[in-house]
Amino acid sequence: MNSQQQPSTAESSRSVVVAMSGGVDSSVAAYLLAKEGERIVGVSMQVWDYKKNSSENSRATCCSPADFCDARRVAAALDIPYYVVDFEATFEKEVIERFVATYQQGLTPNPCIDCNSKVKFRELRERAASFGCSHVATGHYARIEKGADGFRLLRGRDSEKDQSYFLYTCRQDELERTLFPIGGYTKPEIREIAREAGLVTAEKPESQDICFVAGSVQDFVAKIGGTKSRGAFVTKDGTKVGEHDGIHRYTVGQRRGLSLGGQAEPLYVVDIDPLSDQVVVGTRDDLKRESFAVSDLHWISPKLLDAATRGPFPVEFEAIVQVRSRHRGVKAKVSIESASRCVVSWQDDWAAVSPGQAAVFYDSELNQEVLGGGRILR
Amino acid sequence: MLIDCDANATYAPDEELRGVIAGCLELVGNPSSLHRAGQRARAAIEQARVELREFLSVSAQHSVVFTSGASEANNLVVASAAALTSGALVSSAIEHPCVLEPLSRLKAGGREVMLAKPNEEGEVSVQSIAELVKPGCSLVSVMLANNETGAINDVRSIAATARKIEPKVLIHADAAQVAGKLALSFDDLGVDFLTISGHKFGAPAGVGALVARHGAPLQPLILGGPQEGKLRGGTENVFAISAMGRVAARVRAELPARIKRMREARDQFEALVLEAIPGAQVNAAKASRLPNTCSLFIPGVRAADLVVAMDLEGILVSTGAACSSGKPEPSHVLQAMGQAEERVRATVRLSFRADAKSDDAGLVAAALGRAVERARK
Repeated sequence: MNSQQQPSTAESSRSVVVAMSGGVDSSVAAYLLAKEGERIVGVSMQVWDYKKNSSENSRATCCSPADFCDARRVAAALDIPYYVVDFEATFEKEVIERFVATYQQGLTPNPCIDCNSKVKFRELRERAASFGCSHVATGHYARIEKGADGFRLLRGRDSEKDQSYFLYTCRQDELERTLFPIGGYTKPEIREIAREAGLVTAEKPESQDICFVAGSVQDFVAKIGGTKSRGAFVTKDGTKVGEHDGIHRYTVGQRRGLSLGGQAEPLYVVDIDPLSDQVVVGTRDDLKRESFAVSDLHWISPKLLDAATRGPFPVEFEAIVQVRSRHRGVKAKVSIESASRCVVSWQDDWAAVSPGQAAVFYDSELNQEVLGGGRILR
Repeated sequence: MLIDCDANATYAPDEELRGVIAGCLELVGNPSSLHRAGQRARAAIEQARVELREFLSVSAQHSVVFTSGASEANNLVVASAAALTSGALVSSAIEHPCVLEPLSRLKAGGREVMLAKPNEEGEVSVQSIAELVKPGCSLVSVMLANNETGAINDVRSIAATARKIEPKVLIHADAAQVAGKLALSFDDLGVDFLTISGHKFGAPAGVGALVARHGAPLQPLILGGPQEGKLRGGTENVFAISAMGRVAARVRAELPARIKRMREARDQFEALVLEAIPGAQVNAAKASRLPNTCSLFIPGVRAADLVVAMDLEGILVSTGAACSSGKPEPSHVLQAMGQAEERVRATVRLSFRADAKSDDAGLVAAALGRAVERARK
């Protein structure tokens, strides 16, 4: 049950920055590394000024100053150095602005993926290097294994908590210097370890929401991005069936909160048109697409990376394709048409896709290894 | 290995001083009690007052008022001047926030408040204050030396010039960073009020003092008791007051040697670092400075990250003024000196201790050179 990636005794030359949010997962990540005898440095990433950006007195679920107090207490208990490091500028540019702009284009953003690729595994790594640290560790539920031809990114052992979906942008050179100490454990095991170690974060509740949004996502988008104009709900044939107060409030596949009564079948958002501000609604069957295109590709599998770089195209393979964070994936044929675009064709079953979200490709046999991924096109 | 180059944030007492301070824990009486425990505590406070008088050259007719620290002392001066006079309040843009924030609140309430700008070297010139002082002016408050750059202001001349314009003007010098780093004489400085802070020279945090010229108007911030000549209600912090007195006595006895060691370490460090780090510049280099302080601009780095990198090497430095959060606000001092925010965020402060070892400067300069090299990669 232990993670395969850590050597039993720490390599003497390496030193590890552990990203500590103040939650139980990253606390245990730090604890496990400390127990292994790693030289570690705790870092809380100051990504967002909650005081400045929150109108209400409400508090988001992670990375608020109170959470940093918890992280600091855990670090003190582990007797490791601990610092709060400022990432606000990068976070605002790479995560917040993109998050708001994506909603305003009628697409569904995934800020955690942007945060991982641009902030946690890019800038944090650079800052860690300036501190003289070689590795970065986080409390993600995912695993890294060294294979014959490179590193493999695997789902976390706890399939309920698995976070590998958010990590498909990791590059080989990043995986080489990344540790996921808790990826080989289940959440209950992590809680148990935290309790046994007496970590003050052991009983802290889960943070499920988007870390920088204290209230509703839609209000946040309206506040930061400016309110978008109202528009119409229409059916596929263009018939107006109602009015909505801004396309940023909707996501493809959404059923709840449409307030369109008097329909025979439940209605879903099946498309969003940012030009006309129309939200197209339809039945569940209207969501069905035989295939869809994916751009902004990242390949972790060395074989696919090589093939997608060189061609000849198309490069075809079978994969389990996961299209949202809480989704187990569906078997599909993936056809890489160029270095920047591929097409996913569902096979036996299908899943509704939200343009803007990530499609992540897992191995078709065990549905464990992240081969790569990209953004779903409209 | 630990090298503390952040003495301006707090001057941690060395082992000997910790022993002196620990000895004060025996003073457990309430100084207002009539019995022996109370009288012993009362005597300890008065003994501390005598030691402070000697430390700061305060002749007998003037008062030494113990406070919870420099922030309280500075608030006391500003609030008293605001309440007991009606003229303009003049200060400088590089003061500590515990002067600037009370002034800013008074200004918001309609009081005339004017702040002099420092020159490029971080000095508040006599001229810049003289331009703001008009007849009827109530208060001139200028720090004796700046915590970030170490630049020293000629408060003596500022006082003399301001009084030529308005003989009744009250003059206040915040000397929190000077005590323990330079010889300090209240009598000689010719000011009405002088602020000091215990933990800046080796006493515990939570105690300081305001020296007030005889007859200078003051009214308490904290009401509720006759303590400190009715200027500060509340049972005295006997332990800390007594510790500050005893520490002051030690520091005074060794002051010339301490100044010499701080200056040697700082000057040696600056010479080494300017050679080792391309583009590095010392702020306020042309000013007369505290002997221990070096504010260093290093192009192409994040100062906050350098603080972390240096800490991991066992060397304590700072981004400027002490700050508890991970995201220090850019220094108002350097910005007032006309520096761009980009430069301000690339400035670290090193403030050496009097017990710096002879090879400390070399070790610190070398570690900083390595950290800068990594950061610039």
